[in-house]
Amino acid sequence: MKPLLTTVLLATLSITALVKAQPSYEGPHPNLKVVEDPTLRRMQYNERVQEVIQWRAHIVERGDSEKMDLASVSANLRLGRKLDACSDRVIEMMETPGSGPFWMLPTVCVAFTGRDLLSEEAKNAIRDAWRSTYQLRGDTENHFAMYYSMLYLMSEMYPNESGDQWYTGKSSEENLAESRAYLIDWMDIMTTIGQGEFNPTHYIGEYAIPMLYLVAWAKDPEMRIRGKMVLDWLYAGLAANTLNGVLRGPNARTDDSSVVERWNSLSSFFSWLNFGNCPPTRGFSWGNYYAIVADNYDVPEVIYRIATDRDMPFEQRDLKRSRHQWRYSDVGKAPIYKTSYTTSEYAVGSYQGGMADPIQTHVWDVTWKTPDPRGIHPTMFSIHPYSASKGMQAYFNVGPDTMVKAVAAEGKPSYDVADKLVGCSPYEQVFQDLDTVIALYDIPKGTRFEQVNGFFSKDLSHLTEDASGWIFAQGRDSYLAYLPLAKYDWVPHMAYQRLPSTGNGYRYERVETGSQVLISPHRKNGTILQAASVSEFPSFEAFQKAVKSLPLEIELDPVPSVSMRSLRGTEIVCTFGKDPLRDGKPVDYSKWKLFEGPYLNAEKNSKKLEITHGRLKRTLDFNTLTICDAVVKELSK
Amino acid sequence: MTPNTISKTLICVFYSLGATFSTAGQPPTIETYVCAAINKNYVIGSKIVTTSGLHQLEPSGEWRHIGLNDPTVSAVSFDPRDPRVFYTAALNGALRTVDGGASWRIMTGWDITEPKDVCVDPHSPDTVYLAHPGGIALSNDQGMSWQARERGLPDRGKYTQTIEVDRVRPGRVLAGCESGIYLTQDHAQSWRRVLETRETVNDVQQSPHNPNTWAAVTQSAGAWISRNSGRTWTNLPNTPTDGSLYNIAFDGTNPDRLAIGSYTFGVLTSEDGGATWVPRNEGLPMPQRVWRVGVHPSTGHLFASVYQNAVFTSNDFGRTWEKIGLEGSAVNGFLFLSVPTSTNP
Repeated sequence: MKPLLTTVLLATLSITALVKAQPSYEGPHPNLKVVEDPTLRRMQYNERVQEVIQWRAHIVERGDSEKMDLASVSANLRLGRKLDACSDRVIEMMETPGSGPFWMLPTVCVAFTGRDLLSEEAKNAIRDAWRSTYQLRGDTENHFAMYYSMLYLMSEMYPNESGDQWYTGKSSEENLAESRAYLIDWMDIMTTIGQGEFNPTHYIGEYAIPMLYLVAWAKDPEMRIRGKMVLDWLYAGLAANTLNGVLRGPNARTDDSSVVERWNSLSSFFSWLNFGNCPPTRGFSWGNYYAIVADNYDVPEVIYRIATDRDMPFEQRDLKRSRHQWRYSDVGKAPIYKTSYTTSEYAVGSYQGGMADPIQTHVWDVTWKTPDPRGIHPTMFSIHPYSASKGMQAYFNVGPDTMVKAVAAEGKPSYDVADKLVGCSPYEQVFQDLDTVIALYDIPKGTRFEQVNGFFSKDLSHLTEDASGWIFAQGRDSYLAYLPLAKYDWVPHMAYQRLPSTGNGYRYERVETGSQVLISPHRKNGTILQAASVSEFPSFEAFQKAVKSLPLEIELDPVPSVSMRSLRGTEIVCTFGKDPLRDGKPVDYSKWKLFEGPYLNAEKNSKKLEITHGRLKRTLDFNTLTICDAVVKELSK
Repeated sequence: MTPNTISKTLICVFYSLGATFSTAGQPPTIETYVCAAINKNYVIGSKIVTTSGLHQLEPSGEWRHIGLNDPTVSAVSFDPRDPRVFYTAALNGALRTVDGGASWRIMTGWDITEPKDVCVDPHSPDTVYLAHPGGIALSNDQGMSWQARERGLPDRGKYTQTIEVDRVRPGRVLAGCESGIYLTQDHAQSWRRVLETRETVNDVQQSPHNPNTWAAVTQSAGAWISRNSGRTWTNLPNTPTDGSLYNIAFDGTNPDRLAIGSYTFGVLTSEDGGATWVPRNEGLPMPQRVWRVGVHPSTGHLFASVYQNAVFTSNDFGRTWEKIGLEGSAVNGFLFLSVPTSTNP
């Protein structure tokens, strides 16, 4: 009996550990050794998927919630456990359905995961909710992607039904046709003039999950392969813009937390899941809904290699686009010219400045690698804290008086706060050459917040305010030099900590983090940033000396202008309002390709992306809906 | 959930905002509707815990919700042949009911979003005009299909906030856009700008007394009046330009009286045909964040929606106010519908 007892005891302990733990979040940083064996790589991927499903399935047993939510129901259905309880809970939850894509997506997850497992009554409850409860489509690109992907799938699941059976009033076939048309149009725009909500720290999930659901559940093979190709497209972008799995550089949309603690975002979940090279965030967030059918996707080896290879520095240039501007702008979808330079120790990324998204854009930064990214603020950047009603009105179809106040209650607390660190500005112009960034600010008099904010991490060492005006610091194995072009003061960095809601929108309190914000209250302003690897200089002092010896001319009137030689020897002239000059030649943004770099290449309007690493090549061709893998016989010299 | 519905089946005559009219026999009944959002800080994905959308003011003084619970409805327009047929402009597009709100269909597709105004052509009620952020759309088949009708509108600057069909001259329509007021005289085959503005024209209305008289309010250019059917416009003096004016309403009982609603200035009224204006906010909750105003076309009672507060009414054109419900609401539009009075008990 003793061996049996021991076995039972060990099994019980094992299950208990599984139920309670989120080992990938709580445990040590993943081993960064590249997994060469594809079978082992896939096995490890499946283990990660299982960790998410198990964690979410046991939400009640763990005491995190009194009742299952839709994610937990999906996870339990996926495991084939608690089926009666799942049905009961679905019936209960369908009595009070939600109101838009953030309800539609979880409900579709339950509907498809449970189509052979839920009781008829539960399935009918879901079906009836899609008839009786009006769903709001939303107003952003990710809303539409979720809304139409979910409506597409449900309309396929319930074909040949008349309009009175759907909240839209349209038949299954009409819903299907409209959803399909939107999704294809969206993919056409993305693959010709660039992604809208590019490199988002969180919203990558709002695209990846619907695409995975198309892969897993669409009946039409065209929509399945389209979903798969978009996933490849998204993950290729993630791979090329991460360092040890953490997303770097500019983001169309981010938030007050992710912009400084760069790891702490949903994008890290997708790096963890696909590449295994960083920890996931607490609770996996929307990743729970991805994991349910994550076994339907296999990240291509070429993308895995791009994500995990940082042996050589590389520069990648991408063409993206702004959120659509309905009014008060000469252009609807403005081009975004994005540059990233990534080394084994740090990454520098930017776009040219101006407006990309009215609230949540992050324009440029340098970020450095840390052994473990959790809790670290591995970043340095500056912004103009732009806040304007008319700026909002360009993107949102609202009157001028309420939106600025409303966004704080809608989960974007910093929008109208002077020391904010998230946002873009029409009064900012940025140029990047490798690991040099020049950000110029020409802020009109009377603008709300006539100042520039610079972020300085608590995790920097050797922070030195030099008499030359340069501020030097070290971030792990990276040397950093930051030159503010006007006088400044320091204030503590205050994070936004969420408080329990009192029923009237989000509430926050501000808490000091130990980081600092440089406040430069001058309208004619700018920032110059130089980064380098510690290994490139014999000492920190040598780095400082090299930076201080660079030829540099600065003018602030009538507009900010910088003429300098970078550490890499490039002659740069930047004048606000003019195209920058690199080695005497103006930068011609009109020739910017959709992707251009060692790993990702695509011509504008081509609908065709080539993803390469070493001898591996994958071509995604949306013209022919083909995925073509090739292995180059020999690498060219 | 079964939506509340408009159940009457009598043929009605529809007049927007204060028409005067006469019918044989019993005087018509004027019904009061509002498009109300009663969901503070709603964001996409939130569970809707309040009842928003179209509401009718009952004779008892109670508000009755009709149709979908939609916090995004910005306008409603009725088919003059049948009050059970009406259209709303909302986040999802243009919606239509043919049974008084019991069932609905989203009439537009993915390519039209967030229309701000909808207007059934009273001369040809199968025709429906839609003002939306991408421009102007028209349907000739009761919303089943839509065509962009934008010849004459600028490529940039065609964001359209409001659209109003001339009730006496077929084919004439005025649209308030980001870059001014545009007029068509050929059923939206072509448009020409009749007033240039730097920012959005928020509302355009036709006088119930004189069909040649139109009034408009703007985001930053004050209020305007036209005495020649919208061909030329004159700025109304003494209307503020340092804040947005949200809408304007004629008083159907008195040709000298107009009212303006403004988040910044509250209620502004004129009792001399627009020559002078006075604030009428005493008795409204302060600050007087007025979202929209309306004037009952037969009683002259003035209505004001105070943003996320309630609806108020005044029987002395703004000198005193009384709260009449819809607590927490922001009304995006008042509409007064004239229907023949039923002789049935």
